[in-house]
Amino acid sequence: MGRVVIDSEKCKGCLLCVEVCPRNVLKKSETYNSKGIYPVYAENKNNCIGCALCAKRCPDMAITEVYR
Amino acid sequence: METLVFQKPSRIKKDCKVTFCPGCDHGVAIRIIAELLDELGIADKTIVVSSIGCSVFLNDYYDLDIVEAPHGRALAVATGVKRAKPDKFVFTYQGDGDFASIGLGESMHALSRGEKVTAICINNTNYGMTGGQMAPTTILGQKTTTTINGRDAEVQGYPIKICEMAAVCDGAAFVARCSLDSSKEIENTKKMIKRAFESQINGLGASVVEILSICPTNWRLSPQESHERVRRELYPVYPLGIYKDKANK
Repeated sequence: MGRVVIDSEKCKGCLLCVEVCPRNVLKKSETYNSKGIYPVYAENKNNCIGCALCAKRCPDMAITEVYR
Repeated sequence: METLVFQKPSRIKKDCKVTFCPGCDHGVAIRIIAELLDELGIADKTIVVSSIGCSVFLNDYYDLDIVEAPHGRALAVATGVKRAKPDKFVFTYQGDGDFASIGLGESMHALSRGEKVTAICINNTNYGMTGGQMAPTTILGQKTTTTINGRDAEVQGYPIKICEMAAVCDGAAFVARCSLDSSKEIENTKKMIKRAFESQINGLGASVVEILSICPTNWRLSPQESHERVRRELYPVYPLGIYKDKANK
């Protein structure tokens, strides 16, 4: 089981991480951050395998750490 | 027991906020370069030459020594830095407008002289920062703010192909084109940049890595559609691969 640490203030909501996640862990949030952007959050936390594909895809380095 | 499998590279500033448009591939390129500097252990002796364009804010992200070059003159400045400090590791970070339009003369002469520097060129097929005007790398038929009916070969001519031009320079040691449209290509791009860096460390000559990138804002597409466009429209015009490699001749 893995775990992702997301800095929602850095997220710009491009949703590229949602596209690459093989286990559908990430989802767009219903609430917006201080910039008025709906960031992603880890909804299905138990599905995460810690592959770090999302972190390597994120252009804004908003997924700061991945644990496995 | 959890193990850390991914973290930000050490030379990315702790409090840095990436200021590119949502989905822009610049951030990925900046991160993989910082990872390679850590892996190769050369961060302490690196001097980066940044350019004009979207790549201008490099000093906001990197905790490295950075020189800001005038528009298009990044490889000319890098030549001076490398000749004054031959023991330093020098690379430029440029866009396609900077490398292939304003700085085409400087770029080609630096490659022909075989300066022992590395050029990273981010090709998004338009002038991103100034509002999406036509660049020399804009492909035929592509709509930009200055080619509203699409680029026409009769009027604006044909696109410039950076890697094909760089590969004919005798001084160039490593020339490759890669993309950032998928996780697989991101890994491949990292390998290509690593080989370019190694060719400079081994003193073989100049090295160029052209990276096909997206510009969702000026292409008027979502990031996902932009990556699809790279695969559909840019791959046939700009084929990926290694165009020259002196180390494995």
